[in-house]
Amino acid sequence: MIGHALTAGYAVLMGAVTGSLLPLALEFPFEWHYIRSIIRVSLHVSLVAVTLSTLCSIPVALLIGFKEFRGKTLVTSLINTGMGFPSVVVGLVVLFAVSNEGPLGTFDLVFTPEAMIMSQFVLAAPVITGVTLAAVSSVDQNVRDAAFAMGGTRIDVALVTIKEARYGIATAVLAGFGRAISEVGSVLIVGGNITGPEGISQTRTLTTAIQLEARQGRFQTAMLLGAVLVVLVLLVNALVIRLGNGGGRYR
Amino acid sequence: MTLSATELCHGYDGDPVFDGVSLSVTPGEVVTIIGPSGVGKSTLLRLLALFDAPDDGTITVDGVDVWAASDQRRLEYRRRIGMVFQEASLFDASVRRNVEYGVRVRQSWADRLRTALSSLSRRGNGDSNVVEALETVGLHERADRDATSLSGGQAQRVAFARALAYEPDVLLLDEPTSDLDPRNTAVIEDAVLAATERDIGVVVATHDMHQAERIGDRVAVLLGNEIIEVGPTEPIFESPSDDRTRKFIDGELIY
Repeated sequence: MIGHALTAGYAVLMGAVTGSLLPLALEFPFEWHYIRSIIRVSLHVSLVAVTLSTLCSIPVALLIGFKEFRGKTLVTSLINTGMGFPSVVVGLVVLFAVSNEGPLGTFDLVFTPEAMIMSQFVLAAPVITGVTLAAVSSVDQNVRDAAFAMGGTRIDVALVTIKEARYGIATAVLAGFGRAISEVGSVLIVGGNITGPEGISQTRTLTTAIQLEARQGRFQTAMLLGAVLVVLVLLVNALVIRLGNGGGRYR
Repeated sequence: MTLSATELCHGYDGDPVFDGVSLSVTPGEVVTIIGPSGVGKSTLLRLLALFDAPDDGTITVDGVDVWAASDQRRLEYRRRIGMVFQEASLFDASVRRNVEYGVRVRQSWADRLRTALSSLSRRGNGDSNVVEALETVGLHERADRDATSLSGGQAQRVAFARALAYEPDVLLLDEPTSDLDPRNTAVIEDAVLAATERDIGVVVATHDMHQAERIGDRVAVLLGNEIIEVGPTEPIFESPSDDRTRKFIDGELIY
């Protein structure tokens, strides 16, 4: 009896799905190559920016974490301030830097993915440096001493510290990626939200596309792009946790 | 190898910790440093382990002044010395990875890469030294356990095995059993004696008089800023020439 009811309910549900939602999905006015090109630009810009930021930030965080020097507190608070730096201001500064009169004017980078990478680099670097710094500073001095006592060189001790702080560093990279891929202000200013002739994105990212589609009233497209953005962030989270985990546990 | 400190003076921020301290350890002997907490036993061991250069005085390995030697030579000397701290301070990895560490850092980068790649594809039993070191402290069956899951006593035994695995010539132990129960203490003390049979010279800093009496061939009494007495353990414990030594051994408050 209950089985029959369930089957019937399921049939009704499936009917509703196929009857109403599926045609809707099929009739969506999406041009998939347009969406795909936006995802590609977004991922390319943010992944390159975060990779470069990580490569620069980890050595800087290790240096600041281990060396005692005058003005260390100042440097640390500057980094922490940088974590919350307004992205539109970063966009403005990068736009000035790459504009014709700016110091990088000769490279002709206005409204290019490279300029967007620069601005996202500037946004992600303080986040990655700051969180990494907190993580490496919390590695016990005794553990570093033990590595040194067992014959480790300064490089070995630094590697041990990175390894001990791996979960914190993974979190830092994630936070940096989250900041980079989900920000609108600077990529809009330096990238210009441009698509090429056949609707292929050149400097249009998920965020700037959502902003444009929503303003033009194409909510379905905007919502889909929003969903893609959320899924991407989730996927990268899962991936980094998996890698940082090494088959063990996440703490 | 013989590790010697001669007329060491050292301090922090202008405060002298000790002044004119001399001590040496020869192969196969156990030298204990006794003295109250905070007297500078750890500082002395750190200097002997070549962590820092002393403010004054010399540290020699087989007669060669270590701090006058090149960085590369000093690294070679440093790698013949093992040190175990009061806290185990294990790495967040398996027991085996912890014990392998000293062996790994002595390999070339190419060899390290090769070892890392081969350990990805299969789980080897690793270096025979690593297995032997773990057997010495009775933990070979726990090689694949997570080091952070061990009890305090087991962790300290792993810390000891870490120092044994790369076969040092001198072993420095900084209050290695002060947090341990009698059974774990006995395991460590047996391992110390086993190490001396392999001609390893051992220096143990301790505030446990009985331990100094049990395992020490010679004892150095560190009090004030100096070593007030040094010599074979038994005569010093039975008839110390310095009155402060007698009071310290008898447990009287002298500081």
